[in-house]
Amino acid sequence: MSATSGFISGNADESRSLVVVFLRGGADGLALVPPLGDDDYQKARPRLRVTEREGVKLDGFFGLHPHLKPLQPLYAEGQLAVVTGAGSEDTSRSHFEAQDLMEHGGTAGGGWLGRFLRYRPATNEGKKPQNSALSAIAVGKELPECLRGAPAASVMQSIDEFSLGAGAARFSSQLQKLYAAEENDLGAAGRDTLDALRRIEQLRKTPYSTASGAVYADDDFAQGLRQIARLIKARVGLEAASIDLGGWDSHFTQSTLIDPLMLRLGAGLAAFTRDMGRWMDSTTVVVMTEFGRRLVENASFGTDHGRASVMFVLGGGVRGGQVLGRWPGLQSGVLDGPGDLPVTTNYRNVLAPILRRHGMGDDMRLVFPRFLVEPINLYT
Amino acid sequence: MTISRRRFLQVGGAVVAATVGCDRLPDSVLELYSRGEPELDPFQPPASGSMDLVAHALNRLSFGARPGDYTRIRHLAPVPDAAFEAYLDEQFRPRDIDDSIAERAVRRFESLNAPAGELFEYKEDFLLGEMTSAALLRAALSERQLYEVMVQFWTDHFNIDSSKGDCRWLKAADDRLVVREHALGKFPDLVRASALSPAMLWYLDGRVNRVAGDSGGGPNENYARELLELHTLGVQGGYTQKDVMEVARALTGWIVRAKKESTFRLGSVEFAAALHDDGTKVVLGHTIPAGQGPRDLFHVLEIVSLHPSTAQHIATKLCRRFIADEPPLAATRAVARAFLESDGDIRVTLRALFGRSEFVASRGNKFKRPFNYVVSALRATGARTDAGAQLTDFLLRMGHAPYQYPTPDGYPEEASPWLGTLLWRWNFAVALTENRIAGTHVDVPGLTRAAGGDVGLMSHMLGRKPTSAELAAYAGSGAGLALILASPAFQMA
Repeated sequence: MSATSGFISGNADESRSLVVVFLRGGADGLALVPPLGDDDYQKARPRLRVTEREGVKLDGFFGLHPHLKPLQPLYAEGQLAVVTGAGSEDTSRSHFEAQDLMEHGGTAGGGWLGRFLRYRPATNEGKKPQNSALSAIAVGKELPECLRGAPAASVMQSIDEFSLGAGAARFSSQLQKLYAAEENDLGAAGRDTLDALRRIEQLRKTPYSTASGAVYADDDFAQGLRQIARLIKARVGLEAASIDLGGWDSHFTQSTLIDPLMLRLGAGLAAFTRDMGRWMDSTTVVVMTEFGRRLVENASFGTDHGRASVMFVLGGGVRGGQVLGRWPGLQSGVLDGPGDLPVTTNYRNVLAPILRRHGMGDDMRLVFPRFLVEPINLYT
Repeated sequence: MTISRRRFLQVGGAVVAATVGCDRLPDSVLELYSRGEPELDPFQPPASGSMDLVAHALNRLSFGARPGDYTRIRHLAPVPDAAFEAYLDEQFRPRDIDDSIAERAVRRFESLNAPAGELFEYKEDFLLGEMTSAALLRAALSERQLYEVMVQFWTDHFNIDSSKGDCRWLKAADDRLVVREHALGKFPDLVRASALSPAMLWYLDGRVNRVAGDSGGGPNENYARELLELHTLGVQGGYTQKDVMEVARALTGWIVRAKKESTFRLGSVEFAAALHDDGTKVVLGHTIPAGQGPRDLFHVLEIVSLHPSTAQHIATKLCRRFIADEPPLAATRAVARAFLESDGDIRVTLRALFGRSEFVASRGNKFKRPFNYVVSALRATGARTDAGAQLTDFLLRMGHAPYQYPTPDGYPEEASPWLGTLLWRWNFAVALTENRIAGTHVDVPGLTRAAGGDVGLMSHMLGRKPTSAELAAYAGSGAGLALILASPAFQMA
C-alpha cells in the first residue's frame, strides 16, 4: 500500500468497519429475546408468547425467538452479545421522535454515525482527517439520519453505481498521468482514489463468491449485507455501513408481520458472519430499533408502542455468549408508563464502547453531546 | 411562453420528463428548457499561459467562470488589473445588478419568502429540498456572485444545522432575514440579527437559557460560548469561562414559540422578563448594570461585535477563504484594521483584502469545496439545471449539502477534510458531461464550438492555456470535457 493510504481509509493501519442495522418500526424485544423464565411475561402474552419449550435457550432465563435460531451458534461461539432493556430516554412513543432522537444521538445537529466519522480522526493524534469516498455507505435509497453530517456518505444499492462509465479505463489512465505529476496532498489523494477505483472495477468484473459456503437469501436485507461484505473484503476504506430492516410496527397480528422479518434478520446476519469469516475480527455489527413494544398484548394479536427493546452486537472482541444489561422484572411497579419494559441501558452506552474500538478518542461528547456516557462492559 | 412538448423533448428534456412526469414539470424547468438549445455566443477564453487577475477573480470571488464571463469582465478596462477593479466596483453594488434570471429560477420556491410562522405549514423535507435547490441555483445563476459567495461564507460562520429541533422549519427564515439580508452589510447588524434569529435560538439552545430559579433550569451556556468562540472573538480571543457565564446570564429569557409546545405564533421570538437574570454582569471588563432587561443582549453584542479580537478572527477567516488555507499574518492584520476602522463594514473589509498583494499572488491555490466544485462545473459548462434531487444527491455524497453541517463551526474551509471526495467529483464530471443527471443538461459540442475548439474550451475551463500534459490527457481520455472537470487544476480555484 502507498504511504498515503490514509486518504483511502481513515484508519488504514487498523481498518475496521461498523455495520449498523436499524429495525424500523419498533421491534418487539420481548419477541426477539423473550425472558422465557419470567412468569409475568408468560402471563402477559397468552397468545404471542414464546414458551420455554419453543424458545432457543441462551442463558437459562432468556431465549431467542425460534425464527432467530441461526443466531444461536454465534452466541454459543461467543461472537454475539445481546443487550436487554436497551433503548433511549425518549418517552414520546412516536416512531418519528424516537428514531430521530436515537439517530441524532440526542437533540443535536447531524447523526451520531456522521459525527463519529467526522470527529474520530481529530481525536487521534497524528492522524489526518481524511475520509475516503467510500468511508460511509447507506444501503438503500436514502441517507438515514444517523449518517447526516458524515464527511462523505454514499447511498447505494449496488457497487455498480461507483463506475466511471463505459470509457472508465481510458479515462482513468489519463487522470493517472495528471495526478501523478502533482506533488502535493491533492496528488496523493488522486492516486489513492485511482487505487480505490481499480479495486472497485476489479470487484465489478469478478463475480462475487461467498466464503465458507455462506448463502445469502434473495431479500433486500441479505443482498445488502452481501454488498457490504464484498466492499469490506475489497478494502476500499469502508468504515461505516448502514442498512435498514423495516416493518416491525406490529400493532395487528404481530406474528404474521414480524415472523418473516425475524427469519430474514437471523438468516441474513448468520450468512454475513459466515461469509466474513476472519474479517469479523475487524468488523462490528450492531442491531438496534427505536423502541420496544408494550408488555401486554392487545386485542388484535398485536402489541403497541413501548419503551425498551434489545440490541445485538456481533463482531471482533465482543464479550459474546452473554445477555448484557439489567433485567428489572415485569412486576407492575417496575413497568414504565402504560405498562412498558423500562429502559435500563441507554443505547449510547452500547454504542460508545463500539465507537472506542473503532477509533474514537476519549471525547465521546463530540458524538453524544450533553450525555454522560457510562459504557457497558462490552469488550473483554 | 410557447413551447411544444415535442420541442421540449428534442432539447434534451427526456430524462427530466421520465423522472418527474411531463405534466408536473416545474415552470422554471420549462422556462430553462424552453430557451431550447440556443447556440452559445462565441466567446474569447483567456489566452495567457498563466491566470491573469480577471481569471483569478472569477475563480475566487465568484463560483467560477461561465462561457463569456472572462471576455465581458476583461473588456471592462484596457488592462486586466483595471478590469479587475471595475469588476469589484460592480460586485460591491449587488442591488444595481440585474439578477432577473436567478430570481426567476428560484421564484417557484415559495417557502423562501414565507414568514417564519408559515414555514411550519411545510413538510420539513420539502423545505430542506427547496432551500438546497435555491442555494444551488443562486450560486450557479446569480450575477451577484460576490454577494452569493459571502452568503455561503456567513452561512458557515453562523452555521445552523437544519435537522435540529424546529430549525427544520426556521432555518429558511434565518437564511433570508439574517444571512442574505446582511451578507455585504455591517457585521454588528449581522450578529444582532443572528442572536435574535429563532433558528439560532433553537440551534444553540438560547431559547432554554433562563435564570436559575424555582423552575430549576439555570443558564445554558451553549450560545454564549459559541457567540464568543465562533461568531465573534475567536477561541484565542481573550475571554474566560467567567465571561461565558456572564454572557449566558445576560442573554437569559429569550424564548421561541416551539412546535411541540404551542400552536400559535410559532417561531416568534419573545423576551420573557421572568426568565431573565436581571442582576449586574461583567463581560470582558465591561459592567452591564442591573435592571436592563432585554437591553442586556444589545449591550453584550456592542462589547463583542467590534472587539479587536473579533476583527482579527473575522479577518483571518476571510483571508482563509480568499487567500490561502494558512493566511499570511500581514494580510490578516491589515484586513482586521480595515474591519475596525470601518466599524465592521463588510464591503470595506473585503475591499482591503482584495487590494492585498497576498490576494493578488495566491492564484489557483485553494481547493474547491464540493459545493463550489459542483457549481463551478455547472457554470463552466453552461449547464441548464433544475437543481433537483439528482443533482443535490452528489452534494450529499460528498458531504457538503447546504444547511446540513452538524456542529456550530460550519463546514471546514481548508482542503484536507475534502480530499477524500475526488471519486464522487470524477463521477459527477462523467455523469454531467454524458447528460446522465436527470434535470441537468450540457451541450458539449455547442460549448466546444463557442469556445473556438478544444484548446479554447480548455483555456476557458482552466482560466489559462492548458499545459502540454493537459492537452495530451484531454485528447487521450475519450471524454475531454469530463477529463478537464476531473483534472487536478479544475479542483482548485
